Amino acid sequence: MALLQYSLRKLFYGIPLILGVTFISFLLMVYYGPDRTFELLGKNPSAEQIEQVRHQLGYDRPFLLRYAGYLKELATLNFGFSDSTGERVGSILKRTVPITLALVLPGFVLGNLAGIVLALIAAWHRGRWLDKLIMGGSVIGMSISFLIVIIAFQVIFSTPYGFNWFPVRGWEVHDLASYSRYVTVPTLATVFVTLGYNTRFYRAVLVEEMSRDHVRTARAYGTPPAVLLYRNVLKNSMIPIITRVMFSIPLVVISGSLLIESYFGIPGVGKVTFDAITTGDQPILKAIVGLTAVLFVVILLLTDILYRAVHPRIDLK
Amino acid sequence: MTRPASDSIAVAGTHSGKGPWMRAGQKLRRDYYGLAGLLIVLLYFFIALGVWLGFWGQDWSAAGGGQWESAGREHWLGTNRLGQDIFQRAVFSVRTAFEIGLVVAVLSTLIGAVLGAVAGYFSGRWIDELVLWLKGVLDAIPFYLFVAAIAFAFKGSAYAMHIAMISTFWTTTGRLVRGEVIKLKHQEFVEAAKAIGLDEMRIIFRHILPNTTHILLVQATIVFVSAIKSEVILSFLGLGVQDGVSWGLMIAESTQEVLVGQFYNFITASLFLFILVMGFNLFSDALQDALDPRSTGSRP
Repeated sequence: MALLQYSLRKLFYGIPLILGVTFISFLLMVYYGPDRTFELLGKNPSAEQIEQVRHQLGYDRPFLLRYAGYLKELATLNFGFSDSTGERVGSILKRTVPITLALVLPGFVLGNLAGIVLALIAAWHRGRWLDKLIMGGSVIGMSISFLIVIIAFQVIFSTPYGFNWFPVRGWEVHDLASYSRYVTVPTLATVFVTLGYNTRFYRAVLVEEMSRDHVRTARAYGTPPAVLLYRNVLKNSMIPIITRVMFSIPLVVISGSLLIESYFGIPGVGKVTFDAITTGDQPILKAIVGLTAVLFVVILLLTDILYRAVHPRIDLK
Repeated sequence: MTRPASDSIAVAGTHSGKGPWMRAGQKLRRDYYGLAGLLIVLLYFFIALGVWLGFWGQDWSAAGGGQWESAGREHWLGTNRLGQDIFQRAVFSVRTAFEIGLVVAVLSTLIGAVLGAVAGYFSGRWIDELVLWLKGVLDAIPFYLFVAAIAFAFKGSAYAMHIAMISTFWTTTGRLVRGEVIKLKHQEFVEAAKAIGLDEMRIIFRHILPNTTHILLVQATIVFVSAIKSEVILSFLGLGVQDGVSWGLMIAESTQEVLVGQFYNFITASLFLFILVMGFNLFSDALQDALDPRSTGSRP
């Protein structure tokens, strides 16, 4: 009950954030955005025809009413129809979101897990050559652009100039075998790019925890390294780890998938967003911005609840 | 800031007045990776200056060769699909990168400093709430969509990318400065400034903000790197550099070329970008170590 109350209050506090995001994006993308009047008109339109189309598009309504209309769309999750394909925005999202999740999830999980493992190794060997090797590797990894990694991995794994093991692009997934054929190269690229940042971040967190007194005491009692690292270090570092993992979710789903999907031609949310950007398909853009803001608020809430789960002393108030 | 005992004796002995900046400089001078990074950055800056002054990289758009010529005396790193010299294009792109990096780093650091300092000084009051809200909102808009939105609003202006980066990259700087100012504002020098009746804006900008310079410097280098890395991806997506040439545009061209086995364009642009980013990252790390009062000078 207390949890429910807390959640509702937290979601309520998220409203200003959602209002801000939707207002700024509405102002920039729709109000000052492309004018579609003349796209829909034939040659030499009369003044009445122009007037009619503008009315149809809602351009003659006052700004605040149009913005309120957007909020209503967001509240009822009814974003209308895509400008370019005429398909219902809701059904586009229903089709593409699962593809994006299937695409980014393996890379996201592996990138974070591998980052934590490498960080544990580096932190345990702090200052010695293994640490220096891992940290040097992460600086190099951080310095290579995501786009370069994607192109290089495509050439290496999917073309005759490299191993030619996987399809160059596309997404024809029916079963596990075809899924693994299409997901491998994007996953490898994602892991490669995020590993440097993740390792550095997690190492800093773990090193801080390792220098605390309780770890020294546990060490003095002869706790085996694996137990020490798991029970004393990792468990106590969960707060910053959770924060990082949770807050990277919206970035991974939208921004991360946008580049991968438009490069590999995978029909997920990122590709839909990219196409909507290039064609100025406002119903889709409005839906994606609005839903991302909602996702953000939900993640803020979930993060707090997770804090509470790993640290019972944290009060939900 | 507490000094190790041996250090303060040395200072007392020489009367050199070794401040935190002197010590940071000394630490930096012992950090060979950081120095190598600085050297790389300076070298690139020198190349960019040369392009600005018209010494080199001027023939980047001339189609002076055949399609996909190999590297040779005429074209040092070969030519692209249109017969343009890849080396010239990569060199000219150094200038593009510095223009974007410098503009974005300077302006977004400035915004972050001002908003962060004001929010921190008035923490808990409405102006702080407003800045935090703005930061939350900007962080919650997907970046590429934001760039596209700015591009829509400014009717495809060549500076849409710059504006989008400046208006979103200040948030981390703002958060760090705000935290530092909250710590600083209870210190005695601020109390003293208040006691003699100085105006609040003067206290914030003349007395408190200069004490966050170490954060601003490090953040500016980090933002510079983010800006030139984002440029590459935005240019590939068609949202970045509109006229001229950049590593992002070169890599975007090369996505078609690599599939038919032409790698010069891709490798050249990637290496130019990688080395500069690497240099900046090394320098930025060293700067952070040197300016961090808690660090002991040994790299982690």
